[in-house]
Amino acid sequence: MKQIFRTIAMIFVLCLAASPSFSQTGKTETYPPIDSDALEQFGGPEGVRNWVESLFYYIMLDNRINHVFREFGNIERQIYLNTQLLQLVLGGNEVEYQGASMAAAHADLGITLTQFNAVVEAAYNACERIQLTYEACNLMIAGLAPYKHAIVTR
Amino acid sequence: MEEAKRAKFPVSKGAALVVAMLASGLSQAGWYDSGKVLATGGVSMIDGAGGGGITPWATITGYGTKEGINGDLHYTYAPLANYTLHSLGAAVGFWDRFELSYTSSALTTGSTFDTVGLVADTLGGVTGSLAGTPINTGIEPFNTTIEMESIGAKVRVFGEAIYDSDNLIPQIAIGGFYKNNKNEDLLKTLKADKAKDWEAYISATKIFFPINTLINITARYTAANQTGLVGFGGPDGSDKEIRPEISLAYLLRKDTVIGIEWAQHGDNLEGESVEIAGLDLTGLQPTLEALGLGNVSGTLTQHESDWYDVFVAFFPNKNLSITMAYAMLGNITITPDQHGFYMSLQASF
Repeated sequence: MKQIFRTIAMIFVLCLAASPSFSQTGKTETYPPIDSDALEQFGGPEGVRNWVESLFYYIMLDNRINHVFREFGNIERQIYLNTQLLQLVLGGNEVEYQGASMAAAHADLGITLTQFNAVVEAAYNACERIQLTYEACNLMIAGLAPYKHAIVTR
Repeated sequence: MEEAKRAKFPVSKGAALVVAMLASGLSQAGWYDSGKVLATGGVSMIDGAGGGGITPWATITGYGTKEGINGDLHYTYAPLANYTLHSLGAAVGFWDRFELSYTSSALTTGSTFDTVGLVADTLGGVTGSLAGTPINTGIEPFNTTIEMESIGAKVRVFGEAIYDSDNLIPQIAIGGFYKNNKNEDLLKTLKADKAKDWEAYISATKIFFPINTLINITARYTAANQTGLVGFGGPDGSDKEIRPEISLAYLLRKDTVIGIEWAQHGDNLEGESVEIAGLDLTGLQPTLEALGLGNVSGTLTQHESDWYDVFVAFFPNKNLSITMAYAMLGNITITPDQHGFYMSLQASF
């Protein structure tokens, strides 16, 4: 039994070592990779902007999480930065992210996994609101999912 | 030692414990959590663990995240050609780490074993009068039922099935079941070695969002015949073996999943006849022929097939999931072509 655990642990360490480091300044490297036309599927930069606005609409209606975003202040600025970020993780290279790193921006907020999941639910609602296909929506989920490690600190 | 201890543990108390824990989870608001995203708690497999329909997944049942406790009640109904399975139970997930489950299954066998019953009755008339001992095959005149209780436990070891889209590490869980089949006489007639046994499994689950697909691979260490509904092991004993199981699910919408499953089954009773009063029916061929029942032993040969199913699971909200499936279970004991619909309901808290 001990040996099984040791083998599992070794595979785990090897997988970790083999996994690429996650960069915030470009397309998210996922397995399998995000479609090369992901940004087009989202309706380009304008479609992304529509989605982010829609996302914040649902976030601000959700009593589990709206206070966190309200405390953060300046919703317009948050929408602006999120639009930049999502374009980048979907593979757009015309844009530069001007915000703080995800880890720095969320470090003091004590975000729980339940709150993070509530944003994911808002994200799916936003996709439906802008008539995005579920498949395109999942490209966004794949691109943003790895940020969980930086955002959820509790 | 551990096994012996567990064997003595009264199953009904186990069920009460699960329900009590479920209730305490509800009453203590601080413990309760339903923070998982819709559908990510999975459904309940027939043994009661969180997973697909016939395979346990590495996910922990219910909608609790690491911040709390959540659980479910589940009911599965599978009317097959010769059998009907009812399976009812409860499961609790603790902090998205541990899972405990209890499920009680009843497999009504309809007229399946009537031939065996007839032979037993006929033989009973002949041999019973000679030996003076009644034959107990475990077969009732009508609606013979096989009942089984399954107690399950699962622990998530490492990995993140959902959010780690940037690596290939799956979520890994190990778990086990202790199953207690209550129709020991029928299992003896069918030549199974044991009525009670444990099985263990390791599952790896991962969602691949760019292709909207969930993959689960499980290796189950078991000696079960038809998941234990036909007991464990056979005439050659009940040594366990590793059997693979695979679930492939396609995420159709945020509340709808379709997929297929395959579970390898064993061959402990493959080609075996049935046994009545310690006598294999093959050995009784001359007697049966004399009674005009010559072909009976041939038609009473047992087989076991791998299980397959095709399913659609619908999650209208976090409190309810409905799974409809077409189950292809092949040969079950002496009857072939056991295919049919399967419906499973799960209520979460």
